[in-house]
Amino acid sequence: MAELEQQLIALGAELDWPATPDLAARTYLPARRSHQVTSPQAGKYPAKPGDGEIQAGIAHGRWGGASGTYLERRWALAAVAVVIALAALVAYQPSRDAIANWLNVHTSIQRVLHLATPSPQPPGPLGERLGLGGRTTLTAARKQVTWHIGIPSSLGQPDEVYLQPPADAPAQGEVTLVYATRPGIAVAGQTGVSVLITEARGAVNQNFFGKMLGPGTTLEEVSVAGHQGYWIAGAPNVFFFTDANGNFRNETMRLATNTLILDDGGTVVRIEGNLTKAQALQIAASLG
Amino acid sequence: MEGRPEDDSELVARARRGDVAAYEEIVRRYQQVAFRTAYMITGSAAEAEDAAQDGFMKAYRALDGFRSGAPPRPWLLRIVANEARNRVRSTQRRLGLELRLAEGFRPGDAAPSPEAASVAAEDRNRLLRFVNALDEEDRLVITSRYFLELSGAETAAALGIPEGTVKSRLSRSLARLRAKLEEAPRG
Repeated sequence: MAELEQQLIALGAELDWPATPDLAARTYLPARRSHQVTSPQAGKYPAKPGDGEIQAGIAHGRWGGASGTYLERRWALAAVAVVIALAALVAYQPSRDAIANWLNVHTSIQRVLHLATPSPQPPGPLGERLGLGGRTTLTAARKQVTWHIGIPSSLGQPDEVYLQPPADAPAQGEVTLVYATRPGIAVAGQTGVSVLITEARGAVNQNFFGKMLGPGTTLEEVSVAGHQGYWIAGAPNVFFFTDANGNFRNETMRLATNTLILDDGGTVVRIEGNLTKAQALQIAASLG
Repeated sequence: MEGRPEDDSELVARARRGDVAAYEEIVRRYQQVAFRTAYMITGSAAEAEDAAQDGFMKAYRALDGFRSGAPPRPWLLRIVANEARNRVRSTQRRLGLELRLAEGFRPGDAAPSPEAASVAAEDRNRLLRFVNALDEEDRLVITSRYFLELSGAETAAALGIPEGTVKSRLSRSLARLRAKLEEAPRG
C-alpha cells in the first residue's frame, strides 16, 4: 500500500468523530408479526384488502420510493414504522411489554431531535383546516358507523361533529367532536377550539394517527378505566392523520397541543386541547 | 458455543423470524459505521443520527426482502447512506464537513518525544486540511475507504455507485490529493 494510503488510514484512527448515539436503545422496533390473521371486522364501510389481517412487517408499499418531499418521506417513514424512539419516556428504555401496547392505539410516534415545522394552516372552516372531513350531526354520524361514538359527559354535547369519508379515514370511519369553548379550558392556538375529540376504528394492523415528538414533549403511559392510553404533553408536537391505507395525509400535518390517546374497546380516542393531564383523564373517564 | 458471538447471518435469520433482540444486536454492531457514514454525507451529527435511525428502521421493515446469507453491513450502509443523501437533497443544504483530529493520545499509544509528537501532529493536521478541502466526490470516496475503512463493496453501497467506479474514482481522487500535497509548501 502506498505511503499516502497508509497515512490516511492512520489519520482516520485519530479523528474526532461525534459520539455515536446508542441507536439500538433509542430505536423502537415493533415485533414482526407474520402470518397471523384475525377475522375482518364487519362495518358499513366496505372492507378493504388487508382489513383484519396483521401484515408481515407493518406496512408494505408505503415507502413509495424516492418521490415526494422531504417531509412526506419523513412522515411516511414515521407512519409505516410504528416506531417509537422512546427517548421521552422517563426510563428511556421501554419494556418489551410496552411495545405491543403501542400498537393498540393505532398511532405511529417518532421521536426526533429537530421537530419539523408544518406550514401554517390555510384559512377556512375548521373541518377543512384541520382535515376532519365533512360537517355532519351526531345523529347522522351514528348512522354512518357501526361502532359506538363515545360522548364525554363532562363536556356535554359537542358543538360540531365531523365525519371523515372512508377514502381518507380508517376502514370503519373516523368521527371528530368539536368543543369550541368550555369553562376552565383555554382555546388552543393549534386548533382554535377548547377540545377536539377524534374517534376512529379500523383494521387491527392499521395506523390512524401519526405523531412526531421533539425533545420538549413528554410521553407517558396512562390507564383510563382499564383502558390503556398515552399522555403526550409539553412542547407542541406534530400531528397528522393517515388515510384508509394508513398513508400519511400531508394536508393534515399540523402542530398539536397536549393529547391523550387511548384504546376504548377497539375504538381509538384522541383528546386534544390545552388540558392538564387530570382534565384529559376526566374527559376520557366520562366517555359514555 | 457458549460465549461465541452470533454471526450476522444467524442474527438476520432470527430477526426475520420476529426476534427484535436479534435486530437490536445488528444495530448495535453497525451503528457506529452507519452513523459516521451518514455524518460524512450530511456534515451534521443531528442529521446523521436521524438518517441512521430512520435507515435502521427502514431496513428492519425490509428484512423480508434481504437475501439470505448476504452480508448485512453493505446493505445497511446503502440504506442509511440513501437516507442521509435524501436529507441533504430535501433540505437543499449540505453542511461543510470539517473533520478534526482528536485531542490527546489514544489509550495504548506509546508517548513519543515532544518534538516527534509536534512534527507528527503537524503532518496529520496538514493532511487532514487537504482532505477537508477536497471536492465532495473526492472527499467522500477517500474518507469512506480510508477513514471508515469500508471495503470496495461497502464504499460502493454507501456512495450509491458501482464497485468498479469506486476503484477508478479512488485512484483519481488520490492522485489529486497527492498532487495538492506536493504543490503546497509545508509550514
